[in-house]
Order: sequence, then C-alpha cells, then structure tokens
Amino acid sequence: MSWRAALWVLPALLPVATILLAGLGSALLQSLGLMPLVGAPELTIEAYRMNTGDLATSAALSLAIATAATLIGVVVGVTTALTAVTGRRFALWAGTLTVPVPHLIGAATMGLLLADSGLLARLFGLSEGGWPALVGGRWWIAVVLEYAWKESAFIALVVAAVLATRVAAYDDTAAVLGASRRARLRLVTFPLIRPAVVAAATISFTYTLGSYEVALLLGRVYPEPLPVLAIRLFTSVELATRPQAAAAAVVTAVLALLAVAGALMMLRRSAVWR
Amino acid sequence: MIAALARTTIGRAVRAVLVLWFLLPLVPILLWAFANRWPFPDLLPQQWGLDGVRSGLDAGAPNAFVVSAALGLAVAAIATPAGALAARALASGRLPLPRVIEAVLFAPLILPAFAVALGLDVLVLRTGVPSPLAVVAVLSVAAIPYTTYLMRVAFGAYDKGFEEEARTLGASRATVLVRVHIPLLAPALSGAAFLAFLVGWTDYVVTLLIGGGRVVSVPILVASFAAGTGNSSVVAALSMAAVIPPLILLTVVARTGRST
Amino acid sequence: MSTRLELRGLTRHHRDQHVPALNRLDLDVNAGRCLALLGPSGSGKSTALRLIAGLDAPTRGTVLLDGDDVTGAPAEQRGIGMVFQRPLLFPHLSVIDNVAFAARAAGMSRRDSRAASQRYLELVQLGDYADRSVADISGGQAQRVALARSLAAEPKVLLLDEPFSALDSALRADMYALLRAIRDALNPTIVLVTHDQSEAAAVAEEIAVLIDGVLEHHSDVRTAYVRPSTLAVHRLMGGLNEIPGRVAAGVHHSELGAQVLPVDISAPDGPATLVIRQEVVRLVEPSASSITGTIESLQSAGIRQRAHIQVGSSSVFAELPPQISFAVGTRVGLDLPTGALHAISTDSNASRVFQE
Repeated sequence: MSWRAALWVLPALLPVATILLAGLGSALLQSLGLMPLVGAPELTIEAYRMNTGDLATSAALSLAIATAATLIGVVVGVTTALTAVTGRRFALWAGTLTVPVPHLIGAATMGLLLADSGLLARLFGLSEGGWPALVGGRWWIAVVLEYAWKESAFIALVVAAVLATRVAAYDDTAAVLGASRRARLRLVTFPLIRPAVVAAATISFTYTLGSYEVALLLGRVYPEPLPVLAIRLFTSVELATRPQAAAAAVVTAVLALLAVAGALMMLRRSAVWR
Repeated sequence: MIAALARTTIGRAVRAVLVLWFLLPLVPILLWAFANRWPFPDLLPQQWGLDGVRSGLDAGAPNAFVVSAALGLAVAAIATPAGALAARALASGRLPLPRVIEAVLFAPLILPAFAVALGLDVLVLRTGVPSPLAVVAVLSVAAIPYTTYLMRVAFGAYDKGFEEEARTLGASRATVLVRVHIPLLAPALSGAAFLAFLVGWTDYVVTLLIGGGRVVSVPILVASFAAGTGNSSVVAALSMAAVIPPLILLTVVARTGRST
Repeated sequence: MSTRLELRGLTRHHRDQHVPALNRLDLDVNAGRCLALLGPSGSGKSTALRLIAGLDAPTRGTVLLDGDDVTGAPAEQRGIGMVFQRPLLFPHLSVIDNVAFAARAAGMSRRDSRAASQRYLELVQLGDYADRSVADISGGQAQRVALARSLAAEPKVLLLDEPFSALDSALRADMYALLRAIRDALNPTIVLVTHDQSEAAAVAEEIAVLIDGVLEHHSDVRTAYVRPSTLAVHRLMGGLNEIPGRVAAGVHHSELGAQVLPVDISAPDGPATLVIRQEVVRLVEPSASSITGTIESLQSAGIRQRAHIQVGSSSVFAELPPQISFAVGTRVGLDLPTGALHAISTDSNASRVFQE
C-alpha cells in the first residue's frame, strides 16, 4: 500500500467527493428545513408530507418510464452488439453516430418525428386524430422512445467491446464441442456478457430516472416525472416550495441508489464479475 | 444450406431495421433545418431555404456555440488529466481502500445530476462562486467516471515492459514519459478527452440550474425555441450546430485510435 | 471415435494474401492412428487444423471423414474436437459443467450431463475436482480438463493444437502418458500439431512436416528421422550433418570420400547432400582406411556430449555416449554405418523424394 498512489488519485477524488457531498447534502438539508432561505433552521419533514401524493405519483411515473426505456434499450442494444460480431458493423456504426447527440436535441428531433404534425405522421398520411398521441400523450411513448434510442447505442457499444475481447475465443471452443449457434448464445455468449449488460443497464436506468429535458419537451403537464416536479418547484416564485423541490431531488437520488443496490446483488451471483 | 441463407437474410433484415432505428430520428433535423415552408401534411418542404439558419444566427447561435465549446474544452481539460492520474493509481494496485475509492469516483454515473445541481445552487449563490466556474466544476465531476474508466482500461492493457525496455536503453524518466508512455496512451487519452468534451457540450440541466440564465449554451438556446411552437426550422438549424462539431471530433478521435 | 480422416488438395489463402497459408495439402490419417503435424512457426499447421475443424473455410479442397465430405459443414456439425494452446475453460462454469458442455448443448439435462461426463474427468485423473471453480486449478490441470471436455463430446477425430507448449517439461511428460492412456481406452484418431520433434516422436506413430504451407514429408516416425525428404525436414527433425557432394551409381562422393548408399534409397545421379543422424556416428581409432578428422569442439547436450569434428572443410557432428570422453584437438576416425546414410538430391530440376 502506498500513500504516494493515494496522492495521484486526489485530483479526481477530492472534487467528486466534495461536489457530491455538498450538492446532495445541501439538498437533503434543504428538504429537512435545515437550510431555509429565510428564517431559522428547523428540522421538519413537512416538505415530504405536504407533497406525498405528488411525490408518489411522480416516483411511480419516473420508475415506469425508466424501466420501459431500459428494457427496450437492452433488447435493441444487445441485438446491435451481436450483429456486429460477424464483422458487418453497420448497425453498430449507426448507433455510434447517435452518441454525440445531446438528449435535448434528441428530444427536439423525436418531437419533429413523432408529433401529430411530425415526419412519421406525414409519411403514413394520417391527418389529425388518425395519428396516435405519442408526444404528450397518456403513455409517454415519445419520452420512452427517446431514452431507449440513446440508451440502446450506449449499451450496444459496451456489449460490443466485451464481445470483441472476452467472448470471441470461447465461441470457437463451444463450436468444436458441437454447440449450435443458438446453444452458443444461450450457454456461452449471454452468461459472459451478463455483467456488462447489467452495469450498462443500471447506468442507463439511473440516468433516465434523473433526466429532465426529454420529459420537459415530450411529456405532458401532469403527472410529472420527479426531475420535472423538482425543477418546477425550484423555479417557482413561491419560496416555500424550495424544500419540496429538494425533497423530490432527494427521493430521486434514493431511488437511484436502490436501483444500484439491486444491480449489485444481481452481479454478486455471477461468477464472471471481476 | 437453406438455414445459412435464412440466417444471412434475417441478419441483413435485422441490421437494416437497426440502422433505421438509429438514423431515422436524425432525419427531421436535416429536413427542417433547410425548410422555409413546410405545412402539414406535405411529405417534403414546400420551400427550401436558410430562414431557419438565419434566425438561429440572429438568436445568438454563434455566442452559444462559443459557450458550449468553452464548456466542453474546459471539462475535457480538467477531467482527462484527473481521470488519467486516478486510473494510474487504481492500476498500480497500491491504493488503500480501492473499492471505496472506485465507488466514489464512479458515483456521478448513477446519481441524478439535477439533484446535485439543485442542492449546490444555494451554496454557489451564498459563497459567491461565479456561475460558469461552478458549472464547469459540476460537469467535470460528471465526466470523471468516463475518463477514469477509459484510462483504467488503457492502463490495464499497458505493458510495463515497454517502459522497462526503454530505461535499459538509457532513456531518462522524462524521456520515457514523452516518448513511450504518452504515445502508447494517446488513443485512450483522446477518447477520454472526447467523452469529457461531450459531457460539457451536451449538458442542459446543470447549465440551467447553476448557470442561472447567464450561461447560454447551445442546448439552452435550443430549449428556449423548442418550448414554443412554429420554431421547427430554427430548432432544427440549431440542432445541426449542436450535433455536427462533436461528430467531426468523433471521426478525428476514431482515426487517432486506429492509426496506432 | 475411430474415424478415417482424408484431406484432398486443401488450400487456404488468407484475406488479400497472394501466397497461400496452406498449399494443396493431401493427407490421410487412418482410424485410431496418431499423426503429428510438425513445422516451424507460420508453416500453416494451425491453419490446417482450423480447416479440418471447420472454424475456417478452405479456399479449395475437401475434408473427408470415413469417406463423407464434410467441407461444407459448420464446425458444430462435424463432430471434430479440438484442444487449443490455451485451455479456454468457460469461466462461468465449474469444472464438471465444462466437461459436460457438449452434452448440455445437445439438450441433456444438467444432472444427466454431469453424470455422463464424470468418467471423462476420471480418465484425466481429476475425478475429485468436479465441483471446483475453473479459477482454482493450475495450468496443467486446466489443460487436462480441456482434454476431458473435448473427449466427452465423443468426437470422430481429435485435433490438438500445441496443447502442451505452455507446460513445463515434467508436466509435459505426464501429459504424454495421459495421452497414451486415452488412446488405450478410447482409440481416437488424433492429429497433433507441434513444433517440437521430440514431442512428435514421443506421442505419434506418423509424422507429417509442413514448411511454408507445403507438405514436405509424411512417414512413420523412424523414417522421418533417418530418411527425411528434404534438407529442411532434416533440420527440423534435429539433424546436424549435411555433407554436400555428388551421387554417381549409388555412391556419394564428397570430402569424406566415397560412401556407398543403402540400396533402398535409389538416389538419382547428380548433386546431393549426404545426411546421417549425429546419434549414429561412431568415433574410432584413426586409420588409413577410415575418414579422419580433428575434434574442433565439444558441447554438452544434456548428459551426452556433442562433438564437432572437422574433416577438411566439412563439419561432422557426433553424439557421444556419456562414458566416453575426448579432448579437443584429438585426431579421430569416423564410422558412418551404411544403413543410416541418406542422400537428398540438391539438383533443382529433380523432384522431391517422398517416403510413404
């Protein structure tokens, strides 16, 4: 063990620890009334109680959107990575192109694509009423699709990297042991990429949970996902809503940590995780 | 034989659908950016033109472009060396509490950025830290997990043998750093810098909450138009400005990675 | 597991390469026999194995198992097993689950496949290691598990691609013994790729030599040592003595004098190199009728000594038994037993002499 090595890690560790602690700590304190804008600090859970209904609905909505988007992202991402194994990497390359697109731009362009007056509606020749309400509709379809779209590229790249390095040699070995292509997928490929998929999916899930701009542009006014709720309360003229905004932020952070804990439990059971 | 044919036909179909999935959403940007008039339900713009581009320029696109580029470069300049040093320490295997350190370094990946920014905003206001600085700081923290991870992988694959060989050939430590270390790590470094740049370039929420309206990056500008109606061509033109520079950088980085 | 393997005109050009990695390989391996495929690095040995296994497709040529053409069949349908240089045990499965992999892939239940595979694990003397994780076993043990895994698939032909090169010599000797036990029990047809001629001799009945993608020699082991088809094969087999000269009417003329060649060689007249194994050259008292030379140097080769004897401008190497010692500079006579002599034609127009 060397303390010199510890010195090397400080330029990264100090800023991260400081900003995370300061930011989340401050949010927690604000939500508990211990960092009021005016008046004396007083420990209270009013911010959580006043809004429980809204908080619960928003949490449920955020979780539902994140789950749906991550599921689609995993299916599409893993499929994309698998198609790239044989050397014909068009799909993976197309996915890579979407990586530099900011989520905000993604939301804007998804809107242009999926709205009632969007490109797809025009392609299918469906006028008012004939095209389903994907943007701002009941089922938040455009929102889920935008997240899934970006997530699938991320997951595809992560899984493709693992496939290229770890899995290639084992595939040949399994083939000369008589395993058909389907058996190789089931018995060798999927078990070996599982840790990477879980890790990438968890990162995508928690990102979607805390994402603001996509729901803002493509979602509907009510119900609101947690980040939209939080920021609306934060920027409102009433100062009293600040603690409630902080409460929503804290709830989001807690949900993200729970999701990670769940993922770690899944990974611990896998022998491949090193 | 038939099975093999079916496999390639299905494979080709799947690949085609996937390419469509990834590229179709980008098409509206291309079309709307150069559409002066495009009433519903026409399939193609009635009138092509640069009205959207002009409106974008008038609305402050060049300034926003500079702001976004500055953000991206600042984040890359901070997060890449920090991540590289941390990755070196992690790879040496001589850190105390390595698992804890890794958990902290990768925590920004899974914690909601808006929550951190929301909580931090009050502190920034109270301590008087200039908002652009605070934005850069928070975004650098968000980028550190990416740079650390990429460099960690690179250090894992790095063979100390190169270094040791150079030293037995009489190269000083500085020479080894400049002539062996950095060239071998250049592809990973450029990849890490690119990802960090992206974090700064593409951010919306942190710039919004902590920037306090004074930091007008390209995403902020796009959002102000996208929230309204009838602005589709401006939004599309600005979106192209947001997407093309990173794409160009991506090809440059990919070429650096391949040339070694 | 005893199947006859035939290769006809097997050729492989790697992508955009003009020179083929494997050039018209014709080879037969009878059922139950063990053939060692020998050659220097880059000679095409591993390429040949991958083509036989079906992991790569040949540019031209066919692979036949018991007369059936399997060239178009993918690897998983050929029933040809292969053990690689690295054990490549599946990291997510235990030892017994690795051995049971082929059975599982064929649809057997986990319990049945494990039960059926236990005997193969015992065949490689690792019966007690069934439930171990693959991270907990040594390199030599891992290679044995890989062998058991391939055998459990009950392949028609077993291919071994330098499987012992990563092991130390003591372990390697154990593996040769293991291979003998496996052959006694299951009588598989084996093709073993190696760059080590002593390993080839220890394990196989037949040796085929590939150099630059071309088959230069195929015979039983002894003939490969004593009657190599080309100089390259001779050197690959560890032969040191090459005396240039000419053959005329069954006699080789060189600086060493006139050597009568054995009748069964039928060397053509013309320029030819005389070769003889250093192990059979005997040193005798110098006399008028023998070849005489001076000991130039002595090198230890294990417990024996290798003597370099200078005869005029030619070098002759002899391996001396341990109880005999000589001093450098001594004048000695050489006895070259006629039956051990061989002449390789160096006439560029002459065709190569193959021994089958």
